[in-house]
Amino acid sequence: MAQRNSTRTRKSNSENFMDYSLLFIVLFLLGFGLVMVYSTSYYEANLEWGDPAYFLKKQIFATILGLICMMVVANIPYHFWERFAVIGYIVSVVLILLIIPFGKESHGAKRWLYIGPLSLQPAEVAKLCMILFLASMICTMGKQIRFRKGFWTVMLVPMPIALMLWRITQNLSSAIIVVGIAVLMLFVSCPDYKRFILLALATAAAGAVVVFTIVKMAEASQTDSLDFRGARILAWLDPEAYASGKGFQTIQALYAIGSGGVLGKGLGASMQKLGFLPEAQNDMIFSIICEELGLFGGYAVIIMFIMLIWRFMVIANNAPDLFGALLVVGVLGHIAIQVILNIAVVTNTIPNTGISLPFISYGGSSVMFLLIEVGLVLSVARGIRLKDL
Amino acid sequence: MMDDVPYLHKTYHRSKTVVVMFLCLAVFAVLMGRLVYLMVFQSEYYTMKAKELHERERSIKAARGRIIDANGKILADNRTVCTISVIHSQITDKEKVITVLCKELGLSEEYVRKRVEKYSSIEKIKSNVDKSIGDAIRAYDLDGVKVDEDYKRYYPYDSLGSKVLGFTGGDNQGIIGLEVIYEEYLQGEAGTILTVTDAKGVEVAEAGEERVEPVGGQDLYISLDMNIQSYATQLAMQTMETKEADSVSILVMNPQNGEILAMANVPEFNLNDPYTLPDTVDSEGLSEEKKQELLNGMWRNGCINDTYEPGSTFKIITAAAGLESGAVKPTDTFNCPGYIMVEDRKIRCHKVGGHGAEDFVQGTMNSCNPVFITVGMRIGVERYYSYFKQFGLLDRTGIDLPGEAGTIMHNVENIGPVELATISFGQSFQITPIQLAVTASSIVNGGRRVTPHFAVKAVNSDGTNSHVFTYPVRDNVVSKETSETMRYILEQVVAEGSGKNGAVEGYRVGGKTATSQTLPRGSGKYIASFLGFAPADNPQVLAVAIINNPQGTYYGGQIAAPVVRQLFENILPYLEEMDYNRT
Repeated sequence: MAQRNSTRTRKSNSENFMDYSLLFIVLFLLGFGLVMVYSTSYYEANLEWGDPAYFLKKQIFATILGLICMMVVANIPYHFWERFAVIGYIVSVVLILLIIPFGKESHGAKRWLYIGPLSLQPAEVAKLCMILFLASMICTMGKQIRFRKGFWTVMLVPMPIALMLWRITQNLSSAIIVVGIAVLMLFVSCPDYKRFILLALATAAAGAVVVFTIVKMAEASQTDSLDFRGARILAWLDPEAYASGKGFQTIQALYAIGSGGVLGKGLGASMQKLGFLPEAQNDMIFSIICEELGLFGGYAVIIMFIMLIWRFMVIANNAPDLFGALLVVGVLGHIAIQVILNIAVVTNTIPNTGISLPFISYGGSSVMFLLIEVGLVLSVARGIRLKDL
Repeated sequence: MMDDVPYLHKTYHRSKTVVVMFLCLAVFAVLMGRLVYLMVFQSEYYTMKAKELHERERSIKAARGRIIDANGKILADNRTVCTISVIHSQITDKEKVITVLCKELGLSEEYVRKRVEKYSSIEKIKSNVDKSIGDAIRAYDLDGVKVDEDYKRYYPYDSLGSKVLGFTGGDNQGIIGLEVIYEEYLQGEAGTILTVTDAKGVEVAEAGEERVEPVGGQDLYISLDMNIQSYATQLAMQTMETKEADSVSILVMNPQNGEILAMANVPEFNLNDPYTLPDTVDSEGLSEEKKQELLNGMWRNGCINDTYEPGSTFKIITAAAGLESGAVKPTDTFNCPGYIMVEDRKIRCHKVGGHGAEDFVQGTMNSCNPVFITVGMRIGVERYYSYFKQFGLLDRTGIDLPGEAGTIMHNVENIGPVELATISFGQSFQITPIQLAVTASSIVNGGRRVTPHFAVKAVNSDGTNSHVFTYPVRDNVVSKETSETMRYILEQVVAEGSGKNGAVEGYRVGGKTATSQTLPRGSGKYIASFLGFAPADNPQVLAVAIINNPQGTYYGGQIAAPVVRQLFENILPYLEEMDYNRT
């Protein structure tokens, strides 16, 4: 890595480092995302809004706004934000609480706040603020993190936010991401492995018990008294049996992916987006990518995300200080978990939970906050003094 | 390289970040494997499932085969009709659509507006619209208006041969008559249009459609001759009106091969409107069940579906049995005092004073009951019954029309002398008119029992793949000698006997009259009938006329024989001209 970056030394005379590879990957994903948002949404947009580019236009606007924010953040030294860590945490809590009176309901869950014409998902704010708060907190704790008390303190910090996201906004996936970000940041900042392995095993065991219990309950009860998430688990295990209910979206996504085959039907030629897979431009966009561009298209997207994560890793490992490294690890964790969860949901590898594909799915506040996070990473990258490499 | 990093960025931070990276890679590898499973190994399954979901199948009706008469005249045809529907989501100019449809289809604006404005995937406005109107609507080229073409059965001669041809139902399937018997030849194979649609059922234009063309049914060529049929129908109508009869049936067949040339059963019904009861029936306030019963009655083919006591025409069979068994010779003499005693019963002859001394030929010419009772007695129950069976009277004729009624006959052990006596002159049992015609045919054609039929061949509309129908023939039902004698006797009946009203100048006609009282006895209702054939020495055509419940004169010789005479006067020259049935 040092060698690879040293080639860049020769190219650039500037003292500070701008990671063009990262920038290029992000721009590519955004561009590809816009193409796919248009492809997946034009049919329904035309039927519903009379404008095939309805969703595309909104997404372009959010993307441009996000890119501006990204460039601004990238040019501000990242230590500037450290002083806002606590405020950010409080703001997250307040925004989530504001959902209760002011939240805008959509698809049976209140997740959005409207400020004039702009909509905002507090969950996005919470993820960003959580990265900032934990990075700052871990740096302050120093060696205390190695002890049990420090470990559990860091583990407990995201819990109120996660619980609120889950219960108030009915957004389990965002809650999982917030906790996941915290665990990854803790993992990187702690020299220990044992505790994490135990934690992973415990989580896996708990998951298995939950699934097993729900299946047994379903067998015993025969009735549909199972709650929202219980039915999801059953639909995950046998989506075709729940094809008209909880398994509907999953089945439609599988039809899209499976019918794509190796080479796909061609860009724009998806059938499933014609209303069979409702709002295909949102969480299920990856299935339409697979349908239109085939296995190769799906792989290309995954490889782009792997490259993005690799760039994050390089920047984290060359960050000028621990705070910078942890910020990058947080962003890495956020994007990696979200991509993995999304693709796993779309391919029915895990139970269905609403989660968007970073940079590609339609959604203004998601893309804006992701770009702010990329701005932070770029800012950390700028702090790398090339002579140190 | 760690050594020259001066700050507290510890080694384990870096290695753990690398571990995170590889954990992610591992998970991505799993997901990529999952994608291969879904998109390569499961691809075929999901592609099939998705295709099922996306395609809408519409069937295209096949053109039903035509029914064509002996001269190539089309008796049952197809007419192209249109179904006009609207697709709500595709309509761009709603008001124009409403105006045009109101104008072209002659519907009220309220009716059309309700359907145009209804939010549904496809809404039918009107079906069975004439093709010209459909074309006119299509010419407007309105978005969201669909004109689908369809075939509807059409009978150019309305009621002609209605009970023979039959008609079809809503799916163009045969309901009665030849339409139902030859369904498999006529129906053809429906085609399909597979249209790709979106989730709301709206067609996706660029995806195009997959069409499986329908295969038209085979044309059915039948032996019925439209000219003879229409003349027979006219005669029957005329007779029914002048005699105020309930119904009149006229059956014309070729006794040599069983081909039926005409089968008129008046009143007929309009094949293009088979569900309307005649004006004489007050259909107001009738229950559905009652109405269906009346419709079934209207559709009944009296020659096939109903049995009756044949009366004196059946003496042909008794005579043939007597001659065949040797129980009687034409020269045998009898004496008729006007009645005959059978056991303790006195059975009267129709001539109260009696016919006096007569030989067998004269007895037949006089249609003398005592003569035939005597002959029946001479044959005896066992032999009579076996001839009854040998002539095929116990079996159905096998005609290619649905619902042929069977013979209603005593069991052989229940036949005593009185029963035998009545059977001998055609009473106390029932057969169908077609059964009588076919049995008489086999007696006069040299002893070959033919199968009566209409269908000659089924041919594809392009003339290929023709299927010629063959029918069983049973030889030696009676000997050639008996047959020849019967032809002679029956010619005498028409020439000088009770059937003289059936004589046609310039032609040798054979035949037999009948007047039978319907059950219950004493109701005053009669069936007058006549069976005639020509030429008497080599029968080429055989006709039966049956007049059901005529008012006034009811003797077959007086009212039924003239019907056949008029028929023969017209069709015999015609058949000669047509060089008919020269085999």
